[in-house]
Amino acid sequence: MNIIEINNVKKDYPLGQTTVHALRGIDLTIQEGDLISIIGPSGSGKTTLLNIIGCIDSATEGSVKIADKEITRMNDKDLTNLRLYKIGFIFQTFNLIPVLDVLENVEFPLLLMKQYTRDQIRKRAEKLIGEVQLKEYIRHKPSELSGGQRQRVAIARALVTNPDIVLADEPTANLDSETGATILELMKEMNEIEKTTFIFSTHDADVLKYAKHVVKLRDGHVVEH
Amino acid sequence: MQLLFKIAWRNILRHKGKSLVIGIILFLGSLIMTLGNGVISGMDKGISENIVNRFTGHVVLVSTNQEQDNVLFSHMGKSVEVIYGYTNIRKILDRQPYIDKYLPTARGMAMALSEDAEPAYTILLGVKFEDYNRMFENNVEIIEGHVLKNDQRGCLITSESRKSLYDYTSSWLVPENTPLIRSNLSPEARSNQDSLILKTNVVIMGFGDDDLAMDIRVPIKGIFKYKRLNKLWEYFNLIDIESFRECFSYVTGADAAVSLPAEKQTLLSMEGANLDNLFDNTVTSVATKAGGYDFQTMKHETRRKNVKVNIDAGAYNMVLVKLEKDIRLNQAVSRLNKELKKQRVDARAITWKKAAGQVADMATIVRGSLFGFVLFIFFVAIIIIMNTLSMAAIERTSEIGMMRAVGATKGFIANMFIAETSLLSLFFGGLGILTGIILIKIVASLNISTTNDILQLLYGGDTFQPQLNLGDIISGILQLVVVTVIAVLYPVKVAKQITPLEAIARD
Ligand SMILES: Nc1ncnc2c1ncn2[C@@H]1O[C@H](COP(=O)(O)OP(=O)(O)OP(=O)(O)O)[C@@H](O)[C@H]1O
Ligand SMILES: [Mg+2]
Repeated sequence: MNIIEINNVKKDYPLGQTTVHALRGIDLTIQEGDLISIIGPSGSGKTTLLNIIGCIDSATEGSVKIADKEITRMNDKDLTNLRLYKIGFIFQTFNLIPVLDVLENVEFPLLLMKQYTRDQIRKRAEKLIGEVQLKEYIRHKPSELSGGQRQRVAIARALVTNPDIVLADEPTANLDSETGATILELMKEMNEIEKTTFIFSTHDADVLKYAKHVVKLRDGHVVEH
Repeated sequence: MQLLFKIAWRNILRHKGKSLVIGIILFLGSLIMTLGNGVISGMDKGISENIVNRFTGHVVLVSTNQEQDNVLFSHMGKSVEVIYGYTNIRKILDRQPYIDKYLPTARGMAMALSEDAEPAYTILLGVKFEDYNRMFENNVEIIEGHVLKNDQRGCLITSESRKSLYDYTSSWLVPENTPLIRSNLSPEARSNQDSLILKTNVVIMGFGDDDLAMDIRVPIKGIFKYKRLNKLWEYFNLIDIESFRECFSYVTGADAAVSLPAEKQTLLSMEGANLDNLFDNTVTSVATKAGGYDFQTMKHETRRKNVKVNIDAGAYNMVLVKLEKDIRLNQAVSRLNKELKKQRVDARAITWKKAAGQVADMATIVRGSLFGFVLFIFFVAIIIIMNTLSMAAIERTSEIGMMRAVGATKGFIANMFIAETSLLSLFFGGLGILTGIILIKIVASLNISTTNDILQLLYGGDTFQPQLNLGDIISGILQLVVVTVIAVLYPVKVAKQITPLEAIARD
């Protein structure tokens, strides 16, 4: 089943007098449970594409369907809900809430959902923290963790809501290759265990071996699928 | 909810500097507001108590013909209507269990006349002085001369009236049989010391709209000031009630014939001779200066052989009434009014506040200006808090964007800021109010007292007794809430505009 259907998506950024055509007509369908890597040179539109799929940016033109729902005309509230319930995000800069500890950061999206009891939330968060091997760090603040550890917290947080899609923009770019490898290993494992669709972008050719499929971008076009 | 406050609380601790700036502003704002309210409330209470206990009583009876309620301070315009049949009213008052004591009085504007100057206006309170003193807690402090006995003729002039009469008439009043006390001279009189004209009596003439009365010469028995809140009443001179009635024509023709004092007789015999000259000298200047008052008519009326028969002897135009302790003022007024109406007497009861008019509202006016000051403080506070919070919102852009990206709604972000500000407001604002309450209690217990007239106005009496009632505290809390809400509106707007895209820090 197609979880994502992208048709002729264009994205223009106004830049002074001119316009930057970041995406020039993307057509792409992604199957449920896939693990896809988006590659391409710098400036080819990888981040832009992920942001549009992740509902944190909007396409200038074209259609984007997530689980058969057209998102290009949704209002802020529906998009927020979509992000909360269907999508998990992992940022390059391992963005966590600085005042919350590891457990609280992972619990955060579950608390926003307001549909689980405290116990359920605690259990689920602890399970995910266990899976990313951070049990001993459960009470640590983000500032007390290494980059790799923070990225693992971000992965746990992205997965805790059991989303349909997890998006990761260069999740290993700020990590040394060894830590990067464990992160990717973890994503692969999660993809197998939870059947979650993973889409991550990368510069790194080494990373490609983790992906089931590769999408190659150049100048805002898909050049290989 | 719990999550919101957890994040808010930890953000407060994380951004200690900013929190402290906002906190101090909230603390100072609430403190100043509480102190101000305390001073005003104390002043309000003090002024009320002092006016009631020492000047007006709780309730004032006026004639049913009296239209204006403000009988004490209406300077010009209609004179206070005479109450007919006081004897019956007095019987009614005696029967009311909630009335402690009462004092019939007469109040009027009079002109002080002198041979070679324009007449000066002055307020007279006609009383039996000993009764007056008993009713109003010996509020008269004699500076020169003596007090009056109940049946003695004469007047007591306030030192302030003496000053202003000097400015008008160029003669300096001193009580009979007392030497001039040079240290009491006003600066104007002192500069003129060598050629000072001393007078031990005043020629006064009742002044009103429908009938102009006789002019009489009254001996000065004393110069005084009021012990408390002198500034409010310093132009109210006291005169024995008989002389008052004479100069306002509260006498029958027969009475006038019989009871005229010797002094008065001579004055009357001067009529058409000296007295006319006296007036001729002043006619032109007054006619222009006193605009609106027809001096010709006045002159005419005074010259009439038989002064217009006005009222029965023993008349007054107000009765000042003090209530028993713990009697509700408004209840007492309506009960009394019901009774007066039933008995068909010529009197109606009004509260002292109505009778004293704007003076009773003094506290309200000061409260208003203080409120303006507090508003200004809060305006400044709002600006600073708003600015600090907006900066905080901008600083946390990527954090907030990330929260939005993982599914937090705009409302959540807004509530996060509101929770943060509310906690600060609750803690620091609460601390400010609490500190204010404690300071007020401490200051009140010090019993700071003053004899300074101006300070007495601020204190509401002779001791500084700031106080806070529940209403003040509640209104303080409400003001704090309003400030918090207004201050947080703009920062919340800024925070809500942060998009999830901004989670991805771009340089
Ligand atoms: N907010 C923006 N305003 C203007 N131009 C932008 C903006 N965001 C992206 N672009 C432009 O759009 C194009 C695509 O950018 P994008 O970030 O998607 O590339 P990328 O493939 O992620 O590159 P990198 O590998 O360097 O991260 C680039 O030319 C970039 O300069
Ligand atoms: Mg990129």
